[in-house]
Amino acid sequence: MFSFIHSSDLHLGKRFGAFSGDLPGRLREARRAVIGRLAAHARLSGAGVVLLAGDTFDTETPAPEIRRQVFAEMRDHAPIRWVILPGNHDSLQATQLWSSLATEAPPNVTLAVEPRPLELADNVVLLPAPCRVRRPGRDQTEWMDGAATPDGAIRIGLAHGPIQSFSEEATATDVIAPDRARRAGLSYLALGDWHGPLEVDPRTRYSGAPEPDRFKHDRPGEALLVRLTGAAAPAEATSFETASFAWRTLALHLIDGGQPAAALDALLPEPRLRRHTIARVVATGRCRLSGRAALSAAIEHVGPDFAYLELDESALATDCDVGDLDLIDRAGALREAADALLAESADERLSAVERDLARAALGRLFSMSQTTAP
Amino acid sequence: MRIEALRLFNVRRFADSGVAIEDIGDGVNVLCAANEFGKSTSFEALHALFFQPYSGTPGEVQKLRPYSGGSPIVEADISTGAGRFRITKQYYAGRSARVVDLGSGRLVAQADEAESFIAALVRGGAAGPAGLLWVRQGITGLEKRGGAQEENEKQVRASLLESVQGEVEAVTGGRRMAEIVAATRSALAELVTATGRPKTGGRYAAALDARDQLVSAEAKLREDVQALRDALERRAAATKRLAELEKPDDRQERRKAVETAEARLAAAKAQSEMLKAAEAELTLARERRQIADRALKGFRDALAKDQELREKLRQAEEKRGAATGRRRDAASAIDTARAAADAAEAEAQASRALLDRLEKALRAREASERLVALNARLAEAEAARQSLEQAEAELARARIPAKAVDDLQTLETEIVRLRAIEEAARPTVSIAYEAARTGDVMMDGAALADGEERGYARQARLVAPGIGVITLRSNRPGAGDGRLKEAETARRALLESMGVPDLKAARARQSRAQELDGVAREARSRLSVLAPDGLQTLREEVAAVGAIDPDALEFKADPVEVRDACAAADERWKSARLALREVEPLQARANDDFVVAEKTLASLGGERAQIDAALGPEDERGERERELREALDALDTTVGKAEQLVDKLRAAALDLDSVEAALRRARSVEDAANRMMGELREEIAGLNAEIRARSDEAVEETWRETSETLGAATVRADAFAREVAVLQRLVGALEAARSNARDLYLKPVISELKPLLGLLFDDVSISFDDKTLLPDKILRNGQEEEVERLSGGMREQLSVLTRLAFARLLARDGRPAPVILDDALVYSDDDRIERMFDALHRLSRDQQIIVFSCRQRAFAKLGGNVLAARDWRP
Repeated sequence: MFSFIHSSDLHLGKRFGAFSGDLPGRLREARRAVIGRLAAHARLSGAGVVLLAGDTFDTETPAPEIRRQVFAEMRDHAPIRWVILPGNHDSLQATQLWSSLATEAPPNVTLAVEPRPLELADNVVLLPAPCRVRRPGRDQTEWMDGAATPDGAIRIGLAHGPIQSFSEEATATDVIAPDRARRAGLSYLALGDWHGPLEVDPRTRYSGAPEPDRFKHDRPGEALLVRLTGAAAPAEATSFETASFAWRTLALHLIDGGQPAAALDALLPEPRLRRHTIARVVATGRCRLSGRAALSAAIEHVGPDFAYLELDESALATDCDVGDLDLIDRAGALREAADALLAESADERLSAVERDLARAALGRLFSMSQTTAP
Repeated sequence: MRIEALRLFNVRRFADSGVAIEDIGDGVNVLCAANEFGKSTSFEALHALFFQPYSGTPGEVQKLRPYSGGSPIVEADISTGAGRFRITKQYYAGRSARVVDLGSGRLVAQADEAESFIAALVRGGAAGPAGLLWVRQGITGLEKRGGAQEENEKQVRASLLESVQGEVEAVTGGRRMAEIVAATRSALAELVTATGRPKTGGRYAAALDARDQLVSAEAKLREDVQALRDALERRAAATKRLAELEKPDDRQERRKAVETAEARLAAAKAQSEMLKAAEAELTLARERRQIADRALKGFRDALAKDQELREKLRQAEEKRGAATGRRRDAASAIDTARAAADAAEAEAQASRALLDRLEKALRAREASERLVALNARLAEAEAARQSLEQAEAELARARIPAKAVDDLQTLETEIVRLRAIEEAARPTVSIAYEAARTGDVMMDGAALADGEERGYARQARLVAPGIGVITLRSNRPGAGDGRLKEAETARRALLESMGVPDLKAARARQSRAQELDGVAREARSRLSVLAPDGLQTLREEVAAVGAIDPDALEFKADPVEVRDACAAADERWKSARLALREVEPLQARANDDFVVAEKTLASLGGERAQIDAALGPEDERGERERELREALDALDTTVGKAEQLVDKLRAAALDLDSVEAALRRARSVEDAANRMMGELREEIAGLNAEIRARSDEAVEETWRETSETLGAATVRADAFAREVAVLQRLVGALEAARSNARDLYLKPVISELKPLLGLLFDDVSISFDDKTLLPDKILRNGQEEEVERLSGGMREQLSVLTRLAFARLLARDGRPAPVILDDALVYSDDDRIERMFDALHRLSRDQQIIVFSCRQRAFAKLGGNVLAARDWRP
């Protein structure tokens, strides 16, 4: 039996410039810590090899300290063997990177930079398909079909790129054949690029990123432990959690008359997890002026609990009835202004932007009128 | 709307009791009662009925509740265009609101619907102002009333502006509007300037700045990343190209091409050399043929020339013979003439010598005569000079100055004169002798004769024989002695100077000198005649005449004869010379001819010798000519052969240029490849450095980070922009509504207010600004006053009038509304109140006015429908 850890898309060195404060630093550190978690799980499960299926580094020119510290850590986890495959972010086109890596790599780190069979263990051969350039424009795994290996050897493919439309960066010109594992007689094809874990077929999987870096997949970071009992036996893959930060998109659907603050509260994770949660609350549905104000206040209130919390209320429609307007004023010029804004917000002849502005202005008028003595 | 009746139960002081005010009519209605009656309670209950929803218990509702608790009930009968209704509200326990049609007794609405019914009444539609127009004691607006606030507001309402505009805005709900506009504006002002531009130092401007900075930073980093990627690609391309170039096969092939081309070039060059040699040979043969041709022609020309020269030589020799003969003749003629000329010359010389000698003798004779004369004159002159010198020497001794003689003369005369004087003064002695005397007395040695008077000077010694010696002393000084002595001394000096003893001698010397002077003068004049230029000159003249040749003196001849002979000889000599000169040119011409003939002969001889040398011995000349012709023929053949060879070689020659071009091309291919390899290596080295530097800077990570930060900054800036837009939109909406309200109400209200003002204040006129609708001038008795200085009473009246004007406006709009006044005229004096009453009555024709007052006496004059309250229980 041969077992190994399959992971990809570590994107080491990613800086998260969209955030501020110490969060970018924490996120970077979390990515580096993934290596330790992968190694720990490998030790725990008796896997001797960790396959990193591309995009180990976020850029073609990671800062020297990133390379050095990563290698130092990998070296520290010997005898676990690390196989690093060039992905699209750190393709072989970055010759400088790969020549630096080649000189700096510790003995237990293998750089899979050539499409050549690579013996992982007795009777286990790795067929890597490194990305030669950022956008190869053709299937890099094609060579695996004709790669010669000893009879009865377990053939494991390692590649980085999209299958069908599972492209992390929406470039579908260089697609890996979905049935490559079958065509090339692979026992398992370890893929990288797609940041969410995905089983293409029982022998072909994306491991997903071990530490997410965006809201897209809305799943905790994972990696795969793969066990192969023989060349023909089915691969047994089990996933395990690796992430320290959770990226959550929280859908808050409001219906008229509901209590937005309560609905939000029900949606949020328990407080002790919030420190490591990056959350986006996407509000949808309908809500009254007062509810909207309450929602904003609630978000503002719980914000500090989280590593990051934002409210997207662009899809939240505002309902406004006479009672709300009465709260602004029963009559007079203020009421006239409110009526005019309400009418404008529903006037189909105006552009969406103008309607939105009018709605927002009405909301503002409402909240101001509530803080101004009647 | 009109109110017909008001009933209240369990309200405030009416705990578990109630009052009803019935029969409220059109026009002015007055409820005039003491304070305890609960007039204000009625007023507030009425207000609550119309403005406080039955369901709530805000402050105003709480105030209605008696201390004992319970549920306040308020009820009013009203009439509108739609009919007559009864509105009833109960607060707190059993809360309810009902509207009943009084005509049919039917329940029109209850609960919220009833509230809507009421709202429609007071609002006159969503956009209209309050349907009821309320004025309370001392308060000019419908504000929330706390006790303290009530007191404050009396002072707050300080200006007329507020008492008019504020009233209108109170009924149009505009006070909160102002606050909200101000709040919105201040929120906006934090972000943008008045012109809508981001405010410097504001959060919006900061967000924009941050974004702009990030935009440029991102662009810069993107360029860097691109540059790095380019460098990587260029290096990859260069490496690939270098590998291609360095492939051994290709290198070999390039080398071989060069070598082949070089071999071809060598062959072409050898061929070219051969052609050149053949061409040189041909040229040489042609030249030799030309020389042979020239030699033959020259030989033939020389033969012809030889013939010609022989003839010329013969002629020249003849000419030379003739010239020699002529020269000889001329020489003999010249000899003859020269002999004649020589003879004539000798003769002329002889006669001239004779003539010279004669002339010399004549001159010597003359000189000797002159010398004799000169010598005589010299002797005479010397004698004269001697006598002159003698005379002058004597004269020098004898000469006395004429003045000295004259002075002497004068002195002499003076001395005589002085002596005479002295003599006369001197004491004298005389003796008259006795006859018998022994002897004469001797005076100073001299005997003194008898009677003789003798003078003496100082003393005189008289020796009187026999008697003794008598001494006479005068004892007086000699008076004139001094002058006399002086004169005598002067004369002595003068005489000494002249060297004479006395005057006489002096005169003798003077005349002697004159005589000598005459002698000298005579000698001098004689000398000047004899030797006018001095004696020395005369002596030199003598010496100049010198010695005279005695031989010359001896010669004697006839000068005329000699001279004639000499002239004839000269004449002869001259003609002989002329004859010689005529002959001489003949010889010169003959000589010239001879020279010419000789020269011609010599040159012809030279030519002849040359030709002979060229031609050689005469007997071999035929043979020579034939040899020359044969040599020429042989060379013609040689040239023909050489030409053939050259043509052949030329036809076979390779094009050297194209062979060279081919070699150049092959070499350039190889060089270019080598150079390219060097350049590629250099480029790769340069790119290596660039890539290493940029890689270590982690430029791509920084770029991604910056572009993400830029995204966040853009979102933030956009959010600010949206915030600004929202606030601007809100301000716009509020301003538009406010300006509409002004246009709708304020303006018409003011135009309604103006006639009412005239009604109340005949001595005051208030004018309003058209645009701002603010009162800008108050004229009281023709005096302009500041609007702020209105009295409390006047403000109060203005407040009431504003309500009335507003009510009129609504009535005209078809929405009549009652005006309710609760002790609204506390500050007004009686006179003003009456005027106010007039105004109320005037308005009340089409307007319901309900007045609550505790000033019973003053309001008794108001007239109108007097209301009475009675107990009521529902």
